[in-house]
Amino acid sequence: MFQEMLQTLPQVIIDGLTLGSVYAVVALGYTMVYGILQLINFAHGEIFMTGAYIGTAVLLIILGMGFGSSIPSLLLLIIALVITALCTGLLGMGIERVAYRPVRRAPRLVALITAVGVSFILQDVVRIVAEILTGNYIVTGPSLFSKQITIPVSSFLSVFNDASLKVSFFIVLICAIGMMISLDFFVNKTKWGTAIRAVSMDRETAALMSINVNKVIAITFFIGSSLGGATGVLFAIQYGTIDPYIGFILGIKAFIAAVMGGIGNIRGAMFGGFLLGLIEMFASANLSLLTGGIFGAEYKDVFAFAILILVLLFKPEGLLGKAATEKV
Amino acid sequence: MKEKLSMLLQKKSVQITLFTLFIIVTSSALYFSQKSVVSFLLLLSSLLILYYMNLKVVTKWLIALGLLFILIPFASSGGPAFHSYMEVATMVGIYIAMALGLNIVVGMAGLLDLGFVAFFAVGAYSYSIFATSQASNFMPFGEYPLSGSTFWGFLIIGGIMAAIAGVLIGVPVLRVKGDYLAIVTLAFGEIIRIIFNNLDRPINFTNGAMGIASITPPNLFGLEIIYPNQYYFIVLFILLFTIFAVNRLEHSKIGRAWKAVRENEIAAQAMGIPLVKTKLLAFALGASFSGIMGVVFAAKQQFIDPTSFTLLESFTILVMVVLGGMGSVPGAILGAALVTILNLQVLTELTNWLNQLSLQGVITIPDALTPAKLQRFIFGVLLVIFAIYRTKGLIPAKNKKFDVEQIKERAQKKAAISNIGSNDTDRVQA
Amino acid sequence: MNILEVSNLTKKFGGLTANSNISMAVKQGSITAVIGPNGAGKTTFFNMITGVYQPTEGEILLEGKSIVGLKPDQVAKRGISRTFQNIRLFGEMTVIENVLVGMHTHLRGNLLGIFLNLPNTRKEESEAEVEAYRLLEYFNLEPFINEKASSLSYGNQRKLEIARALATKPKLLLLDEPAAGMNPRETRELTEVIQRMGKEFNVTVILIEHDMKLVMEISEHIVVLDHGEKIAEGNPDEIRSNPKVIEAYLGKAALELEKR
Repeated sequence: MFQEMLQTLPQVIIDGLTLGSVYAVVALGYTMVYGILQLINFAHGEIFMTGAYIGTAVLLIILGMGFGSSIPSLLLLIIALVITALCTGLLGMGIERVAYRPVRRAPRLVALITAVGVSFILQDVVRIVAEILTGNYIVTGPSLFSKQITIPVSSFLSVFNDASLKVSFFIVLICAIGMMISLDFFVNKTKWGTAIRAVSMDRETAALMSINVNKVIAITFFIGSSLGGATGVLFAIQYGTIDPYIGFILGIKAFIAAVMGGIGNIRGAMFGGFLLGLIEMFASANLSLLTGGIFGAEYKDVFAFAILILVLLFKPEGLLGKAATEKV
Repeated sequence: MKEKLSMLLQKKSVQITLFTLFIIVTSSALYFSQKSVVSFLLLLSSLLILYYMNLKVVTKWLIALGLLFILIPFASSGGPAFHSYMEVATMVGIYIAMALGLNIVVGMAGLLDLGFVAFFAVGAYSYSIFATSQASNFMPFGEYPLSGSTFWGFLIIGGIMAAIAGVLIGVPVLRVKGDYLAIVTLAFGEIIRIIFNNLDRPINFTNGAMGIASITPPNLFGLEIIYPNQYYFIVLFILLFTIFAVNRLEHSKIGRAWKAVRENEIAAQAMGIPLVKTKLLAFALGASFSGIMGVVFAAKQQFIDPTSFTLLESFTILVMVVLGGMGSVPGAILGAALVTILNLQVLTELTNWLNQLSLQGVITIPDALTPAKLQRFIFGVLLVIFAIYRTKGLIPAKNKKFDVEQIKERAQKKAAISNIGSNDTDRVQA
Repeated sequence: MNILEVSNLTKKFGGLTANSNISMAVKQGSITAVIGPNGAGKTTFFNMITGVYQPTEGEILLEGKSIVGLKPDQVAKRGISRTFQNIRLFGEMTVIENVLVGMHTHLRGNLLGIFLNLPNTRKEESEAEVEAYRLLEYFNLEPFINEKASSLSYGNQRKLEIARALATKPKLLLLDEPAAGMNPRETRELTEVIQRMGKEFNVTVILIEHDMKLVMEISEHIVVLDHGEKIAEGNPDEIRSNPKVIEAYLGKAALELEKR
């Protein structure tokens, strides 16, 4: 059994890293907003989904204009990423302004309910638009970077099987890591990043230090959402087909990743994302093997959820988080 | 003129006259012109009007019972649409009970549960599995399907199973801070669906995605219950019990403990209220209402599969509670009624009407915008608008008004008695 | 007899030591004040006694029995109640309901009794109402019985917190800055109430307070904390003339000034 698990390991790692990088970047959005507002921004998964649609639309439009094929794919990707990031960034800011700011002083529960409402609205609006434009809300994007590569792992070490991957794997991984590094730099090294950290530590005091809290929160939403949207584009390229409901379960899992890493902790979210991606892929490859065929890959979501429960039970502050106590 | 009118409307006799007229008109309209959805809805809304009337609580309840048990079923029995009316009314009842359950969790205890339908599913499956041959796949003894007379027992079993599920999910989660609860319950709602969807192997418990069909209908002293109007009465009885229980709870020490936990956990704890236990009780009780109605739902549909228990259902119930007013019992009832009717009647009627219009070539509505498909959008908008502009909902929760004079009187009486007592002892000592 | 004995109590938050090695004893029926500059660790001390924080080291004995490791609600059941520095009322509930919540642990009604409206439960509930009324009357809050707690004036909210704490029938009552934000008239009234209350409800009081007039007037015993350590202890006169206390409050310079 162990040998069989080992054999699939290279493929598991590749798939896990791909999925993990998506989780990691989406988790960043959750963790940033939670850090600054202590709000679970349910709509974040939907922003990711909207990003996937916007990106696909941009690609389809450019390619549809005829001269698209003369543009190198990489440039095409960058254009799509930038446009999407801008759009979803503004969308995130808009949502904060319209739906979250008015309830900032209301009880937590109220803000959570608005967040759920916003997420529903986004799902349906995207569905309607997609359905009107294309006739079907399930959309398949153009295939970019879809060349298959096989890594002959078995020729180095015979215990492993060969692993196969699409070129887009590298794109997703590099883009995701690039986004994370620049975010980390932004938050830790720039003036606005310092302001964000200040506001998430103590909003009142930050305001007294002449930081414009509303602006900082808006910027946080912009950044988190643009990263989320851009990740949506990467997701669409990697996995091909998208529907308006992909954001939901992926959002939950990204949130789980954020909790695993320690909510509010940016590096923790990245770590949690990759960890969850790897665990999930490992589970979907080996669950059936491990349980003697009783539980199959369809239980991988249950598995992710079980991890969340375990983390909450034994290390609620997350793997990289610090324990926080409420002031009495 | 306007003042006079409102003065007039305040008068009891005027109110009663107008109300009676209203009921007579709507019910006869319903009876004689079948398919008149409007008169059906108006007749139902008479209950709401009743709620706002200037009458004694007992009188209101008597009138309401008369309407629910006699007039509504009778007035809608005039023609072929009888069963569909009763079906709608039954579904309204089922959802009201669930909204009341969720209202305990969200409204009173302040715990956001986004996977509430899971408990409905637990109830539904616990009856379905035993009321079909499904149970013989794993039960070492007994003969399955069980007879329809076990339905009544399963109402309780379903409630208990759902409560157990609530405790199982609550124990790990309620220890940590409240925010996580939302996401964990959300995930749990999905997980339950995945599990029911896949539990057809290694042992076939739930028959997986195929669902469980031909569930034995309930049996009351030899009478098989299959028609919507029969279920209407079953649901009505359970619902009345539920409302009664919720009302009792709300103004008891338990209800106060829930609200205290919602208002301020640390202070509640300092008053000797155990947090986890109190929250678990809210979770378990709320879940059990849902579980009981799950059993009824399974019996009524005679077929269930995992698609009946999607996330959308959980959110629908949440919308009912938020719309009606979190923590408010009449609010939850109104919210549930409005949303169910919106779902089952208004949206479908609107869709049919629009379809007709487009068939006649008057207007064309793109398929994507069919009202029946717009549920998510409508719910989302309702949630956001109510959360921002009317946080307290349509009928805001009211605190119990204590009768100050009466308590004062009792306090004085008690003081007097204890004075006499102490005088007596003085005398004895003397 | 000592109702509360605290020995070597220490609380560390990571690298920060909030309370270090505090020992003290509180006599039954007395009024004790815990004073000290802001950030001296007074509230942390309260939080450890009421189970909100677990001490890093040390022992807390209530009537000779250890209460270390108990959760706040268990501590409350053992007979310690408290108020909070930043008022923590149940804002959306009415004034009388707030007090009734305080009686929670003394009400025996169970689910069955509540559902069936059994006579026992009903009687208990009506007695609780009367008791709550009397408590509110004691604090002159009875005109506001059906008002929301959050709608009360600041001073009345402080009083309601005390009434709610008394409703748990505590042996030991901890008041965290009860006079904060009150005007002089309200403070005077409060001073008197606290003094009377100790006797009439048979409760021992420990209070944190910055209003020195109040402290000196009502406390029999004063404990002074500074930087998490106990720097002095004694009756009001002793504390008033203790150089260490003056130094902690006013700085070294003040002490030198006085010497001159």
